[in-house]
Amino acid sequence: MPNLISRAVKKRLGKPALLITFALASAVCVSAPNEPVNDRYCKTCHGSDGRGNEAIQAPILAGMEDWYLIRQLKNYRGKVRGFHPSDERGIAMQAMANNLSDESIRDIVGWIKTWEYTPPDATVNGDKAEGKKLYASCAACHREDASGNEAIGAPPLAYQNDWYLVKQLENFSNGYRGTHESDIFGQQMVAMVKQLKDDTGIRNVVSYIISLRSD
Amino acid sequence: MNVRVKRREFLNLLAAFGGTGAALNAGAALNLLPAASHAQTLDLRSPDPSKKQVVILGGGLSGLTVAYELTKRGYDCTVLEASHRCGGRVLTVRHGDLIDEIGNPQYCSFDDEPHMYFNAGAARIPSSHKNILGYCKELGVDLEVFINENKSAYVQDDKMLSGNRIRNIEFTTNMRGFMAELMAKALTHEELNQPFSDAEAEALLSSIRAFGDLKENDLYEGSFRAGYKSGGFLKHGVQKDMIAFRDLLKSRLGRQLLSANEGDTGPILMQPVGGMDKIISGFLNHVGERVKYRAIVNSVEVLDSGVKIVYDHDGARQSFDADYCFNCIPTHLMVGITNNFPDDYKKAMKYVRRGDAYKAAFQAKSRFWEDQEIYGGISWSNSPSRQIWYPSHGIHKSKGIVLAAYDYGGGIYHTQMSQSDRIEAHLSDAEKIHPDFRHNVENPITVAWHRMNHMLGCSARWQRSFSTGWTHDEEKLYETLRAPVNNRHFFIGDQISMHSAWQESAVMSAQWALTKLDAYVRQELA
Repeated sequence: MPNLISRAVKKRLGKPALLITFALASAVCVSAPNEPVNDRYCKTCHGSDGRGNEAIQAPILAGMEDWYLIRQLKNYRGKVRGFHPSDERGIAMQAMANNLSDESIRDIVGWIKTWEYTPPDATVNGDKAEGKKLYASCAACHREDASGNEAIGAPPLAYQNDWYLVKQLENFSNGYRGTHESDIFGQQMVAMVKQLKDDTGIRNVVSYIISLRSD
Repeated sequence: MNVRVKRREFLNLLAAFGGTGAALNAGAALNLLPAASHAQTLDLRSPDPSKKQVVILGGGLSGLTVAYELTKRGYDCTVLEASHRCGGRVLTVRHGDLIDEIGNPQYCSFDDEPHMYFNAGAARIPSSHKNILGYCKELGVDLEVFINENKSAYVQDDKMLSGNRIRNIEFTTNMRGFMAELMAKALTHEELNQPFSDAEAEALLSSIRAFGDLKENDLYEGSFRAGYKSGGFLKHGVQKDMIAFRDLLKSRLGRQLLSANEGDTGPILMQPVGGMDKIISGFLNHVGERVKYRAIVNSVEVLDSGVKIVYDHDGARQSFDADYCFNCIPTHLMVGITNNFPDDYKKAMKYVRRGDAYKAAFQAKSRFWEDQEIYGGISWSNSPSRQIWYPSHGIHKSKGIVLAAYDYGGGIYHTQMSQSDRIEAHLSDAEKIHPDFRHNVENPITVAWHRMNHMLGCSARWQRSFSTGWTHDEEKLYETLRAPVNNRHFFIGDQISMHSAWQESAVMSAQWALTKLDAYVRQELA
């Protein structure tokens, strides 16, 4: 059987993966525990080194920018995201983030930085040419190469799971995400996603975005 | 009636209308049902000394079964368990235990006494599950009878009798009475008699009359079986009032109430004395030193010569080369763990859904249910909390652990609530059955399997449609997943069975994989 793993694993981060530590990060609970708890749950859902897990619908975390991870963890904690009854995965994430302290969020994001990025399989088959046309209006914020722009709060897209991008665009479109009054960036996405018109538009633009990846 | 009813059809009809017990009895007499099988005897060959390294991913029941059997045969086994405990969904909750729900960790503050526990996962062992019972016997795990159906427990449905509770025996006696009356009327119809001889028809009719306690005229007019309104010992018993059929039909609970003693819960049910995890302890007495806890698998690579595992343990990334790997990590988690499985395995892993069963329990300050003639068993409700389980153990002690919710099919409803909302939901649901429930209980624990760390789900769901059963495609995916990869890697667990959610399935899956390993080893050594 071929050795697929070493070929598949590609480092996107500049530095080598650090050994993980199991130091307790701000334990959440309570009375006389026999077993300690920490907040480093991430890999259970998000997979080996945060490579994403389609079966759980938990996206890639490895290689994502700190500022975006911190913003989203705080959005979840504050129920700015993951509040809508139809957003089942968001609700699960909200419950996880609910009790996190700022310190714990910093700890988690620092931990995520130590993970190696593994390019995901493509699962969405849209029309890239059509997607490219649609992406023109996205590029203003997310840049031509979908590498994101921290200065205006637009995250990178190209290295994300395609099924996750589809789901989030649907969430914006359905009002499951980006409708909270504090979610300024999300509100922009709710407005922008209208230009994709329908599910086909969403699949097309996601297929184009993923094609911008250089792995 | 114009259509003749053949024997088989009549039995089906009988079963469909709730008299499954009658159909089963009749069926067994006609040799239509298979006899129970015996516990599997494993005759495994000792390994080639140069190929005896085995890694087992997950210390659940199937993983420990493999560790136990292979250690006995001289294999060198290592169990990598991601959490702080072995057992997986064999989880007994006691004083001081951590419930490691993601985002909602709880510590159990039940009184520290042997009978103060509840089984949050596996809770019942049918006498027909011979392989798990075989291990109980072999490992010296003491068993006691588990009371499942209790006719003295309650039935409550907001739609029925203004939401007032009634005893299970009132519901089932009246329901059976009315159904028997309908069946008797149908059977006495002249043309329907034709497929039966006079003797057969008479035998069936007398069974139906007995089933429903019908009067001479084949009418149901109530029955003493539903219990006495008063008297019964020193004075004549006074029969309870009949409940109208139409009132009973307002509840949909009849479906469960009339089949509580069928299928897997038909045989006598048992539980280990002191908690279901005594089975896990029994295995760990033999292979406990082979388990590494908090060892989180990062990758599984199947090679021609064995299996390479990379995992995180004690703050370091480590690697393990084994000759063989047995894997009971839930398939939905394996999807996120780096692996080189063939594409058809990956497809199958993604197909299986994760179950969302949910349980919650309270410590009861007194065993108030025993004052209401309830010893063990289950009360049924149409509320989202669905069931109240009274402990079969610790009878007449001062306190007990009462299960106040078991949602085996739609647990997401409670899973998505906050801990305080879950507790309030169970208290208010239970108050409909026991008005003082809220004041009698304390120290709640909820177990939302969909969110439990390192599991993220209850039993695997293969079928998309329970009404039509397994599709051909589903069977194919199942056969794919249980086939060894390269004769080196074996998926195990109740997830790799056609009858998930039972310990018997986990054990049998492990045994099946072991026989596959053994066949390969024998072939290699030959």
